[in-house]
Amino acid sequence: MLNVENIDVRYGAIHALKNVSISVGESEIVTVVGSNGAGKSSLLRAIAGTTKVSKGSISFKKQRINSLSAPSRVKSGLTLVPEGRQIFVSMTVEENLLLGAHSRTGSEVKNSIESIFDRFSNLAERRNQLASVLSGGEQQMLAIGRAMVAKPRLMMLDEPSLGLSPILVSQLFELIKELHSQGISILIVEQNTKLALKTAQRGYILELGSVRQEGTVDELAADKILAEAYLGESN
Amino acid sequence: MLFEQVLQQIINGLMLGSIYISVAVAFTLAIGILNFLNFTIPALYMLAGMVGWSLSHYGLPFGLSGPIHWGLALVIGIICAILASLLVERFTYRYFKMKHGDATEHAIPLVSSLGFLLIFEYLILIAHGSDTRGFSTPFTNLDWKTAGFIISIPQLASLILSILIVAALSFLLSRTKVGRALRAIAENPDAATMMGIDVDRIVPIVFILIGFLCGISASIFAINYHEVSPYMGDHVGTKAIAAMVIGGLGSVWGAIAGGLIVGLSETLSIYFFGASSAQITVWSLLLILVVFKPTGLFGHNAIGKGKF
Ligand SMILES: Nc1ncnc2c1ncn2[C@@H]1O[C@H](COP(=O)(O)OP(=O)(O)O)[C@@H](O)[C@H]1O
Ligand SMILES: [Mg+2]
Repeated sequence: MLNVENIDVRYGAIHALKNVSISVGESEIVTVVGSNGAGKSSLLRAIAGTTKVSKGSISFKKQRINSLSAPSRVKSGLTLVPEGRQIFVSMTVEENLLLGAHSRTGSEVKNSIESIFDRFSNLAERRNQLASVLSGGEQQMLAIGRAMVAKPRLMMLDEPSLGLSPILVSQLFELIKELHSQGISILIVEQNTKLALKTAQRGYILELGSVRQEGTVDELAADKILAEAYLGESN
Repeated sequence: MLFEQVLQQIINGLMLGSIYISVAVAFTLAIGILNFLNFTIPALYMLAGMVGWSLSHYGLPFGLSGPIHWGLALVIGIICAILASLLVERFTYRYFKMKHGDATEHAIPLVSSLGFLLIFEYLILIAHGSDTRGFSTPFTNLDWKTAGFIISIPQLASLILSILIVAALSFLLSRTKVGRALRAIAENPDAATMMGIDVDRIVPIVFILIGFLCGISASIFAINYHEVSPYMGDHVGTKAIAAMVIGGLGSVWGAIAGGLIVGLSETLSIYFFGASSAQITVWSLLLILVVFKPTGLFGHNAIGKGKF
């Protein structure tokens, strides 16, 4: 479904990604873990097309998409739930969802939005209020709902659990599994390595802009350094 | 007697304000959506007026036609203002966005737009000289005299037209898909892109609206004050910026209030203190207001970008 081959991302002198290759198969959940500044967000943004790659190739559904603009990538079924949610706080909850469906036309858009309101009753209660009044958890639900109404084939999530209470985090991961069971492929970047490895099938460890290790989640969980660094299971 | 004269000045001030409304809205669109203080706006206004005059006086260039009907001439003037506005988009906003990823965080687009202002002005000066030109329409003496006051019908119609245009624009921004996309760009261009909004395709719409608003306003001026000049933009430009700030940056309805307040303070100031006092009154009013209410009368509670 998604194939990233040997990409580089540079911000001026900063070499944020070096020769990174990852792939996400049809209806797979894949996770990318790594410490702050490892380049996880840069990787997702490069795939979404909001950050330029200086080398390498990205293909989606067997088509090379390097030269596609970010909006065209959304249209082709690739959406990103960005780090920090980035919902539009000056607009209503419903307007945020309408924006999520911007690349779609036709009467089904309304149904998609209603189905989000059916699923998230908190959002339905506030559909005509400004998104700024939502709590952190509700904002994350809105960010994911907004990505869902775009009807993606592959949804990328950048640290969706950040700042959420444990209960909300487990609800979030249930939702991610449910999306997956509906046939949406998932690429998830997480600080919560434990939960990410429990939810995903395969994963990558990103370190200083390079893939240090890849494998099934069991292989990664067995990795001694990873366990020390992220799972807090040594000492 | 004094009371009645002052009341007449108030009427005149509101009518003058209707000229400022559309230009103030043009400024507020550029600031509110793109965070771009577009200094070419006064030149777009002047261009519409001068092109309209030139066509109705001489006809098309290179002797392609004789003088054109004044109405058609003004429509072509408005189209020229829109095209010039798109030119500015291409070489200031878009160029910097493409080259440097962002056009809003530094002053270069602002300075470039100032460059376009001067180039357009001097091109017109070379073509037509610096004289003020008479613009004649059939509506020279259509005044409505009531209770001792004189209200010019074209001016009243212009005021209503300006308010209707702003209302239409406000509807566009708040209720349509394009408007929603524009507001998304205003708040967070990066996130807007992630929603599949093609920012490069939608931003020109802002510049088309800017050119249109300037052209409409210049036409209203030409019809009501029966004259145009290469400097007409300078007079309206500073007042419209003041109107925008007084009404509140990024507030379309605030621009109406700001335009009318500036028009009023201008005519009353001239009536009481003489012609040179107008700018001092308007800008003092603005400076006092921003000390107490930096968001302007109808601005949102944060200053600057993304406030629609
Ligand atoms: N827009 C940017 N401009 C310059 N440097 C950036 C930018 N975005 C990220 N970086 C740098 O690139 C590196 C990787 O950042 P990022 O992809 O955000 O990592 P992560 O998401 O894993 O924390 C960091 O050193 C960061 O400082
Ligand atoms: Mg990150």
